[in-house]
Amino acid sequence: MRKPLHLDLLKDEERLSASPIRLRVMLPVFSLLAALGIAVWWSVLVARAHTLGLQKAGLENAIAELKPAHTSLLALRAEEQDTAATLKQLAYYKNARVVFGETFAKLADHVPEKVQFTELRVPPPPPLPPQDPKKPLLGPTNPVERVTLRLAGRTSGPEPVNALFQTLRTPAFTNLIRSAEIPKGAFRQDTARNAANRETLLFELTCECAPRRFE
Amino acid sequence: MALILLQVPLMKPGSLTVKLSSQRKPFTDIVGLEVGAGLSEGVPAVRLRKREGAIEMLAAGFLKLPDELPETAESAQHANPMWLLPGPFQAPHAALAVSSKQSFLRHAAGSGDETPDKRQSAFRIASRTATPDLPPLVAGLPEFQAAWAARLLPEGRRPTACSLQLSSAAALNGLTAAPAFLSAGGNAAALFVFPEYTALAAFQESSLVLYREHPVGYVHLRSALSTQMGIDIALADSVLDDTLIDPTPIIEPVLRPLFRQVEISADFLSRRRNCKATNFFLCGLPAGASYWSTVFSHMMNMPLLVCPTFDGVQRAQRPTPKHGALAPLTKAGEQLLMAAYGAARAVLEDE
Repeated sequence: MRKPLHLDLLKDEERLSASPIRLRVMLPVFSLLAALGIAVWWSVLVARAHTLGLQKAGLENAIAELKPAHTSLLALRAEEQDTAATLKQLAYYKNARVVFGETFAKLADHVPEKVQFTELRVPPPPPLPPQDPKKPLLGPTNPVERVTLRLAGRTSGPEPVNALFQTLRTPAFTNLIRSAEIPKGAFRQDTARNAANRETLLFELTCECAPRRFE
Repeated sequence: MALILLQVPLMKPGSLTVKLSSQRKPFTDIVGLEVGAGLSEGVPAVRLRKREGAIEMLAAGFLKLPDELPETAESAQHANPMWLLPGPFQAPHAALAVSSKQSFLRHAAGSGDETPDKRQSAFRIASRTATPDLPPLVAGLPEFQAAWAARLLPEGRRPTACSLQLSSAAALNGLTAAPAFLSAGGNAAALFVFPEYTALAAFQESSLVLYREHPVGYVHLRSALSTQMGIDIALADSVLDDTLIDPTPIIEPVLRPLFRQVEISADFLSRRRNCKATNFFLCGLPAGASYWSTVFSHMMNMPLLVCPTFDGVQRAQRPTPKHGALAPLTKAGEQLLMAAYGAARAVLEDE
């Protein structure tokens, strides 16, 4: 292959690039642009922090101004909640009311002649558990409360009492009295009276009534 | 077929500087520019492109650019011209061929010791050995001129310098690729005519075996014609190209010493290297080639063939608008582009 006579006198450092993008020019430009970008970014951050600081101070002032109104609003809300709870409990008690009057009015017509009532009592519910003074209970915690009716009296023998017992199991009374029983030893002689009346017996009836439902 | 065998000489203390091309990637598009030619036409410029192994010419012409070479280091420091080339010549890279009176191109003397020129002034030197039995060919250019020429083409614009050569060395590459030279079988002698001197280069089996410069150039012929015929210098070329007036009696005394040196060199080659020169070529002469051939034939009894600069070079078939159309060149103008063409060709073929 033919080789040319190429006596090159150019030094390596004199060989320049024809590209308009030159590293020794672009490097300072890029450095300057990078520094400028960082400065802009930093100034944006500072401006945003300043704006957020102003916003925070404004919000703190607004909170301070609204605090008394907020406190009173919270108190009103608590009072409203207490009142609502009380009303609710009262509504429960209203719904749980057991009506004895009509039943007792009918009972007078069905009492046998040989039976004289000496006691007609609805025992009070069991006492509530000890209350926490910090959080007092407004009503019973159990939504269902058992209700009993105790009938006691005098009679001449078991038959009138059994008749009364059967009467209490008729539909006229079953809407209130769900069950009734004559406890053992319910009949006994009335020792407190004179001898002429020694044939008089004391009796006792226990009735299970419809429960009180606090709903 | 190897035309010139290049070898790197062995490094010795004080030996000539070895300059290897640091080109990493083969160049494919080069514009050759001749700096310091001082032509009234402008700066010679030739753009070549290598495509699919073949070299084609994209543009050639003369550019109006400041190319006055500084004569001293002080003037080189103060003169900083910047060359911006027109679009058709904006190749990626440029090969600069420098014409300087202070440069030298010659075979190294003896063992290649430091030349007197190098001692007197800082010279940038490159050398190549064509054949092992011949002293290397040494090119030297003052450092300040080389540095000044390297700064001509600014960075970041097309083209930038990729090669810096002497015009005399660059011109050799134009001939060695010509079909006329190749058909001669590689045994030929060529006269490269420059304004101030004429170089004789002899090739044996396509290897450069002799290079001599003689201080007779075409400027001397013009001066002789102007003086003896009483005409303007500008008209001298017209007389040389015209056949109405035979200037042979005037130019023969100027050319005879030159051709006598050619005769001596041919005899030297015949005796010392057993190389009989039978083909003579004439390159770079803008006017009067026929008279040169006539005088040469009378003296040497051999024909002197004119070798066109762009002989065998393909022109770009369809130049793109970017490359521009090739402006028509006269034969004289084509000869003046010899160094620029050779510089570009050397870079394209130096892989």
